[in-house]
Amino acid sequence: MELPIRLSKDSREPIYHQIENQLKALIAGGHLPADTPLPSIRALAKDLETSVITIRRAYQDLESQGFIRTTQGKGTFVAEIDQSLKQQVKVSSVYQSMEKAVAIARNYDYTYPQIENIFQEVLEAHKREGK
Amino acid sequence: MKDLASITGVKKTIDEFELGPIDLTIEPGTITALIGNNGSGKSTILKLMMHLAKADQGSIQIFDTSVGGQDESWKNHISYQPQTVVGWNAFTGKTLKSFIAPLYPDWDENLFNQMAEALNIPLNKRFGKLSQGVQQKLNLALTLPRNTPILLLDEPTASIDIPSKKIIIDLLTDWMDQGERAIVMASHQSEDIMKLADYLSVLKNGKMVGTFEKETLKESHTRYWMKDELPAAAVPGEIAREQQMIISNDPEAAEKYFSENNLICMDAAKLDLDEIIAILLS
Repeated sequence: MELPIRLSKDSREPIYHQIENQLKALIAGGHLPADTPLPSIRALAKDLETSVITIRRAYQDLESQGFIRTTQGKGTFVAEIDQSLKQQVKVSSVYQSMEKAVAIARNYDYTYPQIENIFQEVLEAHKREGK
Repeated sequence: MKDLASITGVKKTIDEFELGPIDLTIEPGTITALIGNNGSGKSTILKLMMHLAKADQGSIQIFDTSVGGQDESWKNHISYQPQTVVGWNAFTGKTLKSFIAPLYPDWDENLFNQMAEALNIPLNKRFGKLSQGVQQKLNLALTLPRNTPILLLDEPTASIDIPSKKIIIDLLTDWMDQGERAIVMASHQSEDIMKLADYLSVLKNGKMVGTFEKETLKESHTRYWMKDELPAAAVPGEIAREQQMIISNDPEAAEKYFSENNLICMDAAKLDLDEIIAILLS
């Protein structure tokens, strides 16, 4: 199975961390329900053109945080995760995206009031387009 | 994890060419690509591991047995696909298989048939009548099913078409997942091989530049575009510069240096693997 993981090579975030966070989002967002089999470390390394060392690191972190489980001889599966962990991932991923947007704006020398204006504009546009 | 193979301080002189000293360890579950220009010594390393050439110095251990010693049990743990084979021309794929398969107790007949079908290999045609690419495919189909823990491949995809390369990469990926195995491949910068590898061992004129974990190598090399011309002093990790553009292999130190010296960086990008290899080989 090919996972919808997209890596950004110019990001400051290391590749293993990108993989880890995107898998967390897929699991917490319910796209990968509990017991879904995950690709082997080797197969995912091939799909993402990275090394098994990188994938192993991401899988080990996800396992220690309870997102996935490995059964000897059977493979790696999505774990049953509780609601509070799901919530935590959702909150932190939204915060991270906002933080990133603010960091980009600051890099371009926007002032905080200007950033607030942009945010309001984006929000209004989103409301108009949506329901 | 116990190493499947280790090369320690190996040297070999062939006419004018001096290889080594070479040090390399092969862990189970890993794919190592030997990368270097033509004549850099990649094929010689594989031949030394197979005892097809004798090292002048140093030692090669395969499964704790010394290659070239009295005990030849190491031969059961390793298989090798050379770039060119001698003496196969008069035989069909079917006949060649009947010679080879009985020599390997773990021979996987299903895998052989699966490969012949997926790669469209005619098994009733004499080897000498096959095109170079098909010869290479058949050669691989006669090597991979031996199922030895260590697999050595010399330029396995050199003359193979793109769709077949994809099939071969998938076959090698599946093969790796079947047990505690390792692949060592020689390649002069073939992109598909580098994509598959975990470690890149870079060779330059017979000398080992180094063995690098692929992602670490990719994350370490960064190109910066600076707002103004840089002062003459070298930036930490600097390996190349051209006017306002600079490449560093120590981005953390380089970025710290930029901010300490009030140098403004307009943009930064990681290098592609082939660019990094080109730098390491220049």
